[in-house]
Amino acid sequence: MITWEPLDVFSKTSTKNKAMLVMVLPATLWFILFSYLPMAGMVIAFKEYRYSRDGFLASIIESKWVGLQNFKFLFSTNDAYIITRNTVLYNVFFIVLGLIIAVAMAIVLAEITNKKLAKIYQTGMFLPYFLSWVIVGYFVFSFLSLDRGVVNRIAGSFGIDPMNWYSDPTYWPIIIVVVFLWKSVGYNSVIYLAAIMGIDKSLYEAAMIDGANKWQQIRNITIPMLTPLITILTLLAIGKIFYADFGLFYQVPRDSGTLYSVTNVIDTYVYRGLKSTGEIGMSTAAGLYQSLIGFVLVITSNGIVRKFNKDNALF
Amino acid sequence: MSRKKKGFIPALALLMVMSIVLSACGGKGGVEGTPEKPVELIWYTIGTPQKDVDKVMAEVSKYTAEKIGVTVKMSMVDWGDYAQKLQVMTASGEAVDIMFTSSWAFDYVQNARKGAFLQTDDLLKEYGQGIVDTLDPAFLEGSKVDGHNYGIPANKELPAQEVWRFNKKLLDKYNLDISKVYSLESLEPMLQKIKASEPDVYPLAVDKNQVPYVPYDYVIEKLPMAVPLNTTDFKIVNVLDTPEMKQILKTMHKYYKAGYIPTEAATLDSLTDLQATGRWFADRATSQPFADNLWSASYGYPVVSTPASEPLIYNWSVMGSMQAISANTKYPEKAMQFLNLLNTDPVLRNMVDSGIEGVHYKKVNDNVMENLDESKNYDMPTFALGNVMLTYLNTTDPANKWEEFKKFNDAGTKAPLLGFNFDTSKVATEIAAVNNVKQEFWAALMTGTVDPDVYLQRANEKFKAAGLDKVMAEAQRQLDEWRAANK
Repeated sequence: MITWEPLDVFSKTSTKNKAMLVMVLPATLWFILFSYLPMAGMVIAFKEYRYSRDGFLASIIESKWVGLQNFKFLFSTNDAYIITRNTVLYNVFFIVLGLIIAVAMAIVLAEITNKKLAKIYQTGMFLPYFLSWVIVGYFVFSFLSLDRGVVNRIAGSFGIDPMNWYSDPTYWPIIIVVVFLWKSVGYNSVIYLAAIMGIDKSLYEAAMIDGANKWQQIRNITIPMLTPLITILTLLAIGKIFYADFGLFYQVPRDSGTLYSVTNVIDTYVYRGLKSTGEIGMSTAAGLYQSLIGFVLVITSNGIVRKFNKDNALF
Repeated sequence: MSRKKKGFIPALALLMVMSIVLSACGGKGGVEGTPEKPVELIWYTIGTPQKDVDKVMAEVSKYTAEKIGVTVKMSMVDWGDYAQKLQVMTASGEAVDIMFTSSWAFDYVQNARKGAFLQTDDLLKEYGQGIVDTLDPAFLEGSKVDGHNYGIPANKELPAQEVWRFNKKLLDKYNLDISKVYSLESLEPMLQKIKASEPDVYPLAVDKNQVPYVPYDYVIEKLPMAVPLNTTDFKIVNVLDTPEMKQILKTMHKYYKAGYIPTEAATLDSLTDLQATGRWFADRATSQPFADNLWSASYGYPVVSTPASEPLIYNWSVMGSMQAISANTKYPEKAMQFLNLLNTDPVLRNMVDSGIEGVHYKKVNDNVMENLDESKNYDMPTFALGNVMLTYLNTTDPANKWEEFKKFNDAGTKAPLLGFNFDTSKVATEIAAVNNVKQEFWAALMTGTVDPDVYLQRANEKFKAAGLDKVMAEAQRQLDEWRAANK
């Protein structure tokens, strides 16, 4: 019988941690099936994909290699720049504003003494999180429709000319950010609220005895206690900075062509490309570009965090 | 090591035994594709899924099993999803035997070149003689890709004629005369009248798929490369640069600003809701003989139309509705036999089209039928399912309907690019980029939502940057070659 030390160690630790390993199993399988296995499909980005009658795998193998040909369409216009800029800038705003507002809301909710009222506010803020983007899209449409929208109606009653929101990109960066925050802030503030509830009450009592007012308590107790959670959630968000919320950028602007300059992000671009030309190779190329840059970003931001505080880094 | 081997050999033996047993099982029933042992054909076609499809297909299968030894499983995919879903299905090699394809949904030429369809030249000779005999030869000729047939066009109207359609209730109410209407501009007085008197009605119904009619023949549908219909030198031009297009977009924008066109036209997927509620006055559509009857029956209120263009035979009208055999089908002969039967056998064709006699429809006489109440559970798009000239007439149809169709087909003149199919493989990168630009500007421009004076230039600049000139040069080269070969 062959013995190999690492294998022995592995079998020993795995019998010891049997229960834990069983618990991670579903997630591991999920990742293998839906994240690692499909990675082999990356080769399509370097091929001119043609159908074979022997099925999908045969199609991949038999298709012709074309090198970087499929990446060219991304960079032939300034599309690559626009979608990269849009994706990253929006996400930066989402992360920064989302964090500030969610933490502020959590602190406010925690400080409300009438617990019943706090629950009502919390539920009200949480509710939009459960709506699908399609519904949110119609919701926004009822505000911004040219002739029936609430906004134009109100503007009209003040004698302001109605505005064609869906063909003028000027205000869309703001609209997108506001809609995103409206939908997501409730969820995040609940996470922070839970963390605040977990802070030892004796800390606040001690502070009060020392004569600290509310503002000083928040600054010197609540926020420092929240910092690890804030770092982790922000890091995770940065990891996804190259992934845009498809529904937000597709449903809410109603796929209006004139708004693409400010609403086209990598995800919608890939989707539209695949839909209109059916060139799987090019869509895969765009997807690969997204993953690669995303990967670089996560590694870099994690590296920066590690430099400042090793414990707060993800890996 | 030796222990491993021991485990391996029994497993291998087991596998071999199993495969022998399995193959024996498969062989026991004798020849497949007979009435006793029919093969199942999977058929994907376009249209809003109907409740009774399985029920009707069970009847159809009984009939086809008897005749040619096949049963049919039909899956319908809704209009808007069809192209996308079938694209993914063919790319991933899913099992399909027969599928709908056309110039406007699940692009026939493009997918034929990618290898999605079986080449049917020999199959047609061997099993599709009925199709060859009944179809107007222009159909099979016009749908050849690089000299081969990859699909069976439906026998229907050959030329395409654009018409203005009107909601007759409103025409009558305001006593409007449509006999002098032809151009977009000539509609204006009527639109004005309707706008002023019927605030809840859209005077000119337009959705994001519509393109104003200009007398040009497009190289690829909805990409701005075209030749004028009266061309003699076959020079491909950017249609957005032509005076006709500039003029008509200006008019559309004027109408949009005047409130004749739905405000959200550029993002409107379809006009189905407007048509269901009847809150529209005029729109544009592609016609066929006696189309008014068809539309009126389908909407439930009278619709009349008047021509907006000459009837011409385009590539896209020849390829407007086809059935193709999938490249990975297991039963190519059976599939062709079925398509042959579908295009020549009135019993099968009408069953597929109208459902079960006595349940979905009843026959008035030999070739006239009437829909029963149940037909709402089986309302199929007739044009998309093969030879329409076999289908029973409606009680409102004139007895000479199909003769009129034949006359209409014979009278149609050929558009300049009929028979020319642009092979985009050399400029695939540019086409993809041009397509992206198109999506950004097309709907907004064509529906009149934005000012063409500003946006035409922006669009053209971006088209140029995306490589439209290169695509046009390549198309021109292929067109010149094609003309030299087809003189």
